[in-house]
Amino acid sequence: MAGIGARVPVAGIVFGAALVALWEGAARSGLVAPLFLPPPSVVLATLVEMATSRDLLYHAGVSTARVWTAFLIAAMMAVPIGILMGSYKLAGRSLEPTIDFIRYLPVPALVPLAIIWFGVGEETKIFLLWMGTFFQLVLLVADDVRRVPHEYGELAATLGAPKARALADVTLPAMLPTLWDNMRVTLGWCWSYVIVAEIVAADSGLGFVIWQARRYFKTPEVMAGVIAIGIIGLLTDQILRALHARLFPYLTR
Amino acid sequence: MSHLVFDAVTKTFQSRTGPIPVVEPFDLEVAKGEIVVFLGPSGCGKTTLMRMVGGLETPTTGAIRLGGAVLGKPDRRRGMVFQSYSSFPWLTVEENVAFGMRYRGDLGAAEKRDRARHFLGVVGLTEFAASYPNRISGGMRQRVAIARTLAAGSDVLLMDEPFGALDAQRREQLQVELRRILEADAKTIVFVTHDVEEAAFLADRVVVFTRRPARTLALVDVTARLGAHRDLETRDSRAFFELRSELLHLVRSTAEDT
Repeated sequence: MAGIGARVPVAGIVFGAALVALWEGAARSGLVAPLFLPPPSVVLATLVEMATSRDLLYHAGVSTARVWTAFLIAAMMAVPIGILMGSYKLAGRSLEPTIDFIRYLPVPALVPLAIIWFGVGEETKIFLLWMGTFFQLVLLVADDVRRVPHEYGELAATLGAPKARALADVTLPAMLPTLWDNMRVTLGWCWSYVIVAEIVAADSGLGFVIWQARRYFKTPEVMAGVIAIGIIGLLTDQILRALHARLFPYLTR
Repeated sequence: MSHLVFDAVTKTFQSRTGPIPVVEPFDLEVAKGEIVVFLGPSGCGKTTLMRMVGGLETPTTGAIRLGGAVLGKPDRRRGMVFQSYSSFPWLTVEENVAFGMRYRGDLGAAEKRDRARHFLGVVGLTEFAASYPNRISGGMRQRVAIARTLAAGSDVLLMDEPFGALDAQRREQLQVELRRILEADAKTIVFVTHDVEEAAFLADRVVVFTRRPARTLALVDVTARLGAHRDLETRDSRAFFELRSELLHLVRSTAEDT
């Protein structure tokens, strides 16, 4: 099953390269105005220039810090509450309708309210990101708990584990691999929300950089900002995947 | 001396369409160290009856007693061996066995380690102590589960079709081993299966159940006919052959009137 293609994604690289080549060709041919579609080589040069001689790295750091602060707050709340909801029916039934309602509120719609409540400081961004992730994650955690085979809890009970101990000793480790994956996915959503927040109300961060560049129609800079987000996302995801293999060695045969 | 006593135990589940009787009044007295096999068609209620011994279900009426006291919530005295999810995948084989003693305050750390190693040896898994369950065979995983309940010091082992997912050879091998282990370390066993041959080989007594709601169709004393010692040759004996056909006919008689 796992040929060389599984380890080195040859097909993926070829496809990506072909797409970039097509883009470069289209941009160079003069068919599309460079204002709309600058060639990738120019975008890349701009990205390097912004990272080395301007403050792109600072803004990337600011956005990353916002994402992780909000995400960690959301996760630290969602994991225990989700476990309670998943393991105690009453907790699940009482909280789920409210959480389901809030979960469907689009984060951009909450921006005006967030600004009224918190102004345009850091609190607003953290609040918006938290809104976008906590309510999603808590339901995913509750489902992760419910998907743990009931046999595990019953085994713990017949070995003399009180319910709270069984949750910590059995339910939590049993759900950890899927929890990890759900957190990885939720962290990705955080990046969407941070850009929204930074476009509307910020004087720093990658969203701010992109929005500033747009005002002066610096299309290569807009694209470079977007690509920077993509690179951070890709790196984070790869690191988290690698940690998954390291943390859960028992899943590999 | 009867050790585990079923006293007019019934179970009725409530459903949207009304009550569903699952177990009709069931009486049985099981001696200490006896292996009782619940044999019956799938879904007949025999597993529900066994789960009530474990405290994982509560009888609707009647009571189950162990050593004279009525059983309630699950505890270490009644250990479970399930068919699947019988071991924790994130723990090594040795850690799985040691988990059986995790909530025992009466043993020190060194004592727990020694016991875990001892029971790993009993089920023949010493060399796999550091392996994770998904890297050993299904048969070995069931041995891990058995070692865990032995290490826990359970008085009663509740086994829910524990060998049901194994191939015929492994199943036979484990049946022989289970009898051997229990000859050394006598435990009261309630073993649920729908496999007639397994019931005949393992049991001291077999309770044959009807289709749902479970009612005792027959109570067969196997030890009186095969003796207490069982090995591979037991299967070749005439007595075993006759017993097996008898059980098969009983099971068929209840399966056919559908």
